[in-house]
This record gives sequence, structure tokens and C-alpha cells, in this order.
Amino acid sequence: MIHKERRRHFLVNRPLQFRYMFTITFAILVITTVSLTSLYFGIWGGILDAFSDERTRNDLLTASRLQQYEEARHSKNEPSESLSPLSFVRQAERLSERQREVFKEILDQTNRGLAGKLLLLFLLIAWGTIYLSHKIAGPLYHFQKIFDQVARGDLGVRCHLRKFDEAKSVASSLNQALEVLDQKLSLLQNITENEKNPDRLVARLKEELSKFKTSAGH
Amino acid sequence: MPATRAFSLAVLFFFLSTSLVGGTPFSLSEEDRQLLEKIEKDSIQYFIRYADRGTGLVNDSSQPGSPASIAATGFGLASLAIAQSRGWISYRKAYDQIRRTLLALRNDADHERGFFYHFLDLKTGRRVWRSEASSIDTALLVAGALLAAQYFRGTDLPRLAQELYDRVDWQWMMNGTPLVCHGWKPESGFLPYYWDSYSELIILQALAIGSSTHPVPPDAWEAWNRLEDEYNGKRIVFCFSGSLFTYQFSHAFIDFRELDDRGINYFENSKKATEANWEYSLSFKDQHKAYSEASWGLSASLGPGGYKAYGAKPGLGFHDGTVAPYASISSLVFTPELSLQAIKFFYETYKDSLYGPHGFKDAFNLDKKWWAREYLGIDQGITVLMLENFLSGGAVWEKFMKLPGIQKWIELCKLRAPKTRPETTVQPELIPSEGIAAPNGSPSLQ
Repeated sequence: MIHKERRRHFLVNRPLQFRYMFTITFAILVITTVSLTSLYFGIWGGILDAFSDERTRNDLLTASRLQQYEEARHSKNEPSESLSPLSFVRQAERLSERQREVFKEILDQTNRGLAGKLLLLFLLIAWGTIYLSHKIAGPLYHFQKIFDQVARGDLGVRCHLRKFDEAKSVASSLNQALEVLDQKLSLLQNITENEKNPDRLVARLKEELSKFKTSAGH
Repeated sequence: MPATRAFSLAVLFFFLSTSLVGGTPFSLSEEDRQLLEKIEKDSIQYFIRYADRGTGLVNDSSQPGSPASIAATGFGLASLAIAQSRGWISYRKAYDQIRRTLLALRNDADHERGFFYHFLDLKTGRRVWRSEASSIDTALLVAGALLAAQYFRGTDLPRLAQELYDRVDWQWMMNGTPLVCHGWKPESGFLPYYWDSYSELIILQALAIGSSTHPVPPDAWEAWNRLEDEYNGKRIVFCFSGSLFTYQFSHAFIDFRELDDRGINYFENSKKATEANWEYSLSFKDQHKAYSEASWGLSASLGPGGYKAYGAKPGLGFHDGTVAPYASISSLVFTPELSLQAIKFFYETYKDSLYGPHGFKDAFNLDKKWWAREYLGIDQGITVLMLENFLSGGAVWEKFMKLPGIQKWIELCKLRAPKTRPETTVQPELIPSEGIAAPNGSPSLQ
């Protein structure tokens, strides 16, 4: 089975297609770059800061202090002079819990930051797609209006697109076609109005109409 | 006319230089007053320097990386209010910072049924270090908030502070027992510790019983133990650790001078406990270099081996030669002469090592040549409140005792002293101003 409508050439309008390819690829690239950069620096920056020598030392001291607070408040025994194995284990446990807490906070913070940035990007891209699509949808809307007017017999209409609209060449071709059609029909109108001799009128009309190719024949 | 003016000035000076805290005037020289005011003012600076600009939460200590402590934050709120009342900071600055803190506590700080977690992230108010929702620390925070709000009546601060108080479900913290639990953790539920004997628990009990929204039954007041023991002829309702702060924290807010709990006057009790603390450390002065008549104060504090519940008899009486200046300063209302002597000694002798921009650092130990480099928030806080009570003739007490919740607690627990006091209860009096006398005669050394 032969597919007559199968596309053979994908690049039918290179400048237009390349422009769109660049725009969409650039948008995806920006999103990916922002995401990866935020993740990388958010997580690693946070980890490097949270687990720096100074912070680790401070956390160790705080873990030890909080353990001592707890012992001072709850213990009914005389405080030990040296670090008991149980106390050491509790401090290590406390520090480990704190590190998990810190790591979770880093991830949460990074994700919150990323979510904010991505939301902003999506809003920008959503606005961008409206802008881009308008460059196509606008001309299509114009074309439709032109065709409607032509269908009603108005050949004096012309297509005027905005500066950055797509399909300007199509509009130019359409305007040329309309111009030719308009001139031909104007000529026929002039012939019918000015030619008084019926035989010569028919002959001239036939001559002019023979230049058209229509579905009626020829 | 000059004679009249001179007389008037003399009378004014007399009133300005006397403290009526204990019921009898205590003579205070202008020089001593200035020193005490300097210490109070400097100690308040801790709560300005170590409070977060956004949330107003206060660091537990001056150690880098220290989390916010809710108890320190409570003392901070009270300290800011006191600072503006003395003209050390502007009304606007104090109001703004207290309001910011109360809003952060109400809206952002992690809590469980109104009980704040002991340690919070300074900037976000989120729970850190998997700390417990703490009953006593919440009580100290609420007490500080209510007290601070009393200095700003007619503003929105009393309403905000009351909202924090009303939110606390004190009854839930009893966990179906007659006592209030120490705390609760999301991971493991209620802690296996309850406030079962005399300590700083009274401020917690007072607020819990006096609550208008979630009160604990008045029976809770009867449920905890008043363990008594004798030391050097003094019968004392004691705290297990014998730490001096346990005889001070509730007393910073509550005026116990006219309250009577079944024959126990807790002001008098704290006075005796302070004297016992002094005598106890003095009995070891040959073993520990830091102990002397003018250098004392055994209380939970930092030490060479970390934070420990140092204390005296009656109680565990654990000590290692470490002295906490905040403990002797905060006893001013009980033992003004002993405390003032210690304060002057610490300041004049150890100023370079022990005194910093935020007042006295936490502790020192001469045997081990150890000096704390840190300030602890709650120890700065008790210093400020007790100094204020002493210097102003009980301004903090006066404001706090007017709170409806406190009045309700007094009524429900029948704590109002009878017209004729029982013979066992001695009207609290400050030590006469002449000389430094050993309380109740010479201490018997052990």
C-alpha cells in the first residue's frame, strides 16, 4: 500500500522550523540548566557548609551539651566525671540524628528553592508560548478573514501582517494572487462597460477568459 | 531653703538606695547600686545580641551553632520589657521585638498542643535536634511572655501572650497521671519523667492550674513531693540536685513572700537553701580554691567537664570546685549581703576572666584553671529578673502576681497566707545591712 500523503521532506520551511527548534530547545536547556545548577549548588553547597570542620565541631559540642542538659535534668545519679560509654553512644546518636535532620533540611531547602525557580520559569515559558503561537495564529486568523471576504466577492482586500509575524511570504503571495485576480476581473468589467459591439464584446471576453484555468474545463 | 532642699535630697537618696524586697529595707550604697545596674544592663545585652532579627528567638548559649532555646526566649522577652522600663532601650524597639517574637511563636514555631519544642531553629522556628515538646521550658516561655506583656498594657501584646498561654493543653501533658510530664516526642510519645518533687516546677504548676482554657485539676498541686531534710539546723524543702537555680526560677516571677503552702513559705525556704548552699561550699574551701566566704554559688552550670547539675545539701550536693556567679547574683532577694559580697568579689577579682560584654560568664573553676567562655541564655535571664526584683523593690513580682491565672492558682490551691501566720513560717526578712554576717550564726563546717 502506497501512502501518498507520507512526508518526504521535513524541512519545508527551514528558517521557520529552525527558529522554532532553537526557541524550544533553548527553553528546555534553560530549565534543565537551572534545575541541575540549583540541585548541584543547593545540595553540595549546603552539605559543604553543614559538614565543614567548624560546623561539625559546633554540632559535636552542641550534641554533647544537649546530652549533658538531659542528664542534668533527668538523672538521679551523681554526674560522671568522665565521658561514660553510654553517654558517648547517646551523644553519637544525637549527632547522627542531627546530621540526618540537617541533610533533610538541605534537600528540603534545595527543593523549595528549585520549585520556586521552576515555577517562575514555567510562567515565563507559558507567556513565551503565547507570544510565539500568536505569531502563527495571528496570520492564520488574517488569512481566514481574507478568504471569507474573497468568498463574498471582495477582491480589493489585502493581507497586512505584523512586523514579526510568521508566513509573511505566504501573505505576499496571497496579495499578489489577489492583485492579479483583481486586475483581470477589473479588465473584464471594463470590457463589458466600454465595448458596444456585441460580437467584439463576446470575442474579447472569450479571449480574456481563455487565460483562466478553472474546474469548468480546459 | 537650701537646708530644706538638702533634706529632700537626703530623703530621696535614702529611698533610691534602699531595697524593700524582703520586707525590711536593705541599705545599698550608690556605688553598689551602679554595679548591680551595670550587671543587669550588660546581661540584658545577651538577649539583644543573641536574638534572631526575624523571629526574635534567642540562642541557648553564646556557643556558635547553638540552637534557639524557648526558655531563654521567655527570659529574653521579659528582659526586653525590663530594659525599656529602665530606659536602656526605646519603648518602640522593645515593643517591636517582643511583638515579632510573639508572632513568630504563634505562627511559625513548632509546637505540640501549645507546648513548644525545647530547641528550635533560630531562623525558622522549626524543631531541631529532635528535642522534646517541653513542659517546663514552655512554662518559662509563657511566663516571660505574660510578664513582658504586662509592661505593654493597652497594646496588642497582652492578647498575643494570652493566646500562647491559652493554647497550651496542660492537662494533656499529665498523660493520665496526677503529675505533669517533662515532655513529649513525636517519635516516642511522653518522656518517662514527671515533675514529682520540689524544684522549678512551681511556675509550671501555677500556670497549669491557673489556665483558663486547659487547666490541670488543683489536685495536681497536692501530687508532688515536698521532700524535707535538714542541713546545719535548717529544715529545707529541697530539690534532688540541690542546685541553687531550682530555688530561684519560679521565684523570679512569683512573689512567695506572702504565700503559704501548708505551713511552707517558699521564699523563706529559698533563703535557707541559699544559706545552706553558701555554707556547703564554704565547708569545702580547703579542698577547692574557688570556694570562700565571698565566692560561692553551686548550681547547674558549665564546668570543666561540661554542663552539670552542681548543687549543695540538702540534695545530691555534687560539686567539683566550680562556681556559677549567676547563682549567687540571683539569690540577691534572699541573701542580699552574701550575694552582694560575692558579686563585688567576682567583679573586682576576676573581672578580666569572668566578665564580658554581656555580664558574667557562666562559671569558673580555679582548681582546674578553667573559665567559661560562654554565656547561657537562661542563666543570663534569671540574673536579669532577680536583679530587677531586687533593685526595683519587686517590680517583676508586682506585675506577674496581678495575672488572673496566677491569682486563680493562689485561690484554688489556698495559698494565701492566713492573717496569723503559723509559727513555723518566718516572715521573710533581708539580712541587716551592717557587715557580712553568717546567716543564722556561724556555719558549721563539715
